Amino acid sequence: MIPSLSLEITVLLLGILMLLVESFSRSDDKRGLAKMAIGILSALVGFSFFVDPASGNAFYAVDATAHFFKVLALLTTIVVLIMSLEYSSVLAKYLPGVTPGAGLGEFYSLPVFTCAGLMFMASAVDFLLIFVSLELVTISFYILVAYMRRHTASLEAGVKYLILGALSTGFLVYGITWIFGLTGETNLAAIQHALATKAVATTPLLFGLMLLLTGLGFKVAAVPFQLWVPDVYQGAPTPITAFLSVGSKAAGFVVLLRVLQPFLGVPGVGVKVLAVLALMAALTMLYGNLAALPQDNFKRLLAYSSIGHAGYLLVAVASVSDTKATFGSAGVAVAFYLAGYLLMTLLSFLVLIVVARHSRGDDILHFNGLAKRSPFLAFAMLTAMLSLAGVPFTAGFYGKLLVFAAAVQAGKFWLVGIGILTVAAGFYYYLRIVAAMYWQEPGDTTPITIAPLTRTAIGALTLAVFVFGICPQPILRQLKDGGVSAVQENAGKPPQSADGLRPWGV
Amino acid sequence: MSPILFYLFAAMTLVFAVAVVANRNPVASALSLVVSFLGLAALFVGLDAYFIAVIQVLVYAGAVMVLFLFIIMLLNIQAEERRKINVPAYAAGGLVTVAFIAQLWFVLQKFELGKTAFAPLAEKHVDDVRNVGNTLFSTHNLPFQVIGVLILVATIGVVVLSKRELK
Repeated sequence: MIPSLSLEITVLLLGILMLLVESFSRSDDKRGLAKMAIGILSALVGFSFFVDPASGNAFYAVDATAHFFKVLALLTTIVVLIMSLEYSSVLAKYLPGVTPGAGLGEFYSLPVFTCAGLMFMASAVDFLLIFVSLELVTISFYILVAYMRRHTASLEAGVKYLILGALSTGFLVYGITWIFGLTGETNLAAIQHALATKAVATTPLLFGLMLLLTGLGFKVAAVPFQLWVPDVYQGAPTPITAFLSVGSKAAGFVVLLRVLQPFLGVPGVGVKVLAVLALMAALTMLYGNLAALPQDNFKRLLAYSSIGHAGYLLVAVASVSDTKATFGSAGVAVAFYLAGYLLMTLLSFLVLIVVARHSRGDDILHFNGLAKRSPFLAFAMLTAMLSLAGVPFTAGFYGKLLVFAAAVQAGKFWLVGIGILTVAAGFYYYLRIVAAMYWQEPGDTTPITIAPLTRTAIGALTLAVFVFGICPQPILRQLKDGGVSAVQENAGKPPQSADGLRPWGV
Repeated sequence: MSPILFYLFAAMTLVFAVAVVANRNPVASALSLVVSFLGLAALFVGLDAYFIAVIQVLVYAGAVMVLFLFIIMLLNIQAEERRKINVPAYAAGGLVTVAFIAQLWFVLQKFELGKTAFAPLAEKHVDDVRNVGNTLFSTHNLPFQVIGVLILVATIGVVVLSKRELK
């Protein structure tokens, strides 16, 4: 049994070690750094199963939810590092380096720091830690998005992301301030305790919550806070786009689940918040899927598709039962959907990077005739697309099934109706890629070579998409037993006191 | 703090914050920011939060501002050119602002807690430097350490994004 914080500390030490090795080694080849990080992070996935459940504190929860999202963060970072290795030749072209490997070491180490931030977020149960770790993640993303300094699209994406990210942070902090002012607490369990024992005015509370939802809406790219997504996703280096669309979304949702939980049981507040979430979910599904239809650039298409998937996830969040204030099946649906989303999205970005490097472009027409050039890549992409569209026997199908089941359970039939309509639209644009790969003639017939590490990752992800789709029971049982629904384990328990922190005597 | 002083400093903070955005000359913007920060520091004094007020002046109005002026000087940023006014963008921005202020007004009308006067602190003298230090290094140590990592990451970012030639 190891204390849970040691996982994050190891990740941080790894990041610092990479920076030190980078600055003192004389070699121009920085790939060893990324490979070392991949090895250590994989070992940490194993270690995360031996965490002492009693090693949490008032800021930092050690529960099944935290463990699940930490594993997601670690796996995402590992795949992002594999992508970065594959992408380094493109990246080096747009960096003002004097030696061949200049700037790559930092590009490999920043995702490791981001990973530590994501892991802190998975455990954070206090607004202070939530905010600080969210900023750690966002600030490293600002840098990574703008990393290709000689590429105007990357710089433009960086500036847009910085300005809108800062604005959304402002909303988030203002919301937190209102809630702190009303309850006198920053700890989520303590807030729940205060809301249950004191009379708190609902109008200001709702105002604070709406500001909070605005801030988090930016992070998970929900309509109407999605305007930054297409440009930023298209301009950023491709591995970072993948990281943004999976890592930052997963972290946004775990924070959303944890933050909403204390407020759902409050009369006159929970129902209204869920109604707003349901509206956001409907708009997000419609916008993401309809705007994706005319796209010709594959990265942009994936950007819109990621908005659409945020919509399905919001359906699950909005389907929390109003009366019991527990996440139960909705929480399990969010977790399973995110796991499936991670597999298929990372898979499609991994194939995209390989194909884009060989075809020199990331438009849909660059996928023409991929089946003839590399049947392996074409099959992997086919799997990813079918799963994103939601074809049976894939992870995506089962995830959508769980989400819609949760919505039916909550009686939100209109959301299911909109959901099914948008899934149909999704089939059109995902299958366009499949059509291009299998029915178009290739413009360039040179076979594509794939590095062994990348090949292993693509193979593993493809397999996992099918495993999740065909026999999801073991994973679901794991989620239910450990209880992602245990988000509210600490409910009602008076919080561990943090001495002298009460602003006005409670 | 008497209400007159509060309104005076609040107005000072807000007016100069607007001036930061409205000014076309970057040096004038930076100096407006100093004045806005000073107004904010005065508001903190009104809340008996002397430590934060002093830090606000020392760090933000002092150090950060000198840094801003240095950057403006080093990069030799000229006054911004007058851009064409994008009417729909301005209209949409104005609409969101007005809606937000209206909402805030409505909420404040219904906010009873905000209208009650709190009793003055039991002790006139609050040892806030010691309290803040104690809190940072004991109960709130974990978020404090994470801020350290955050600053490290920001430093790496500045170097990577601004160095003329990477080695």
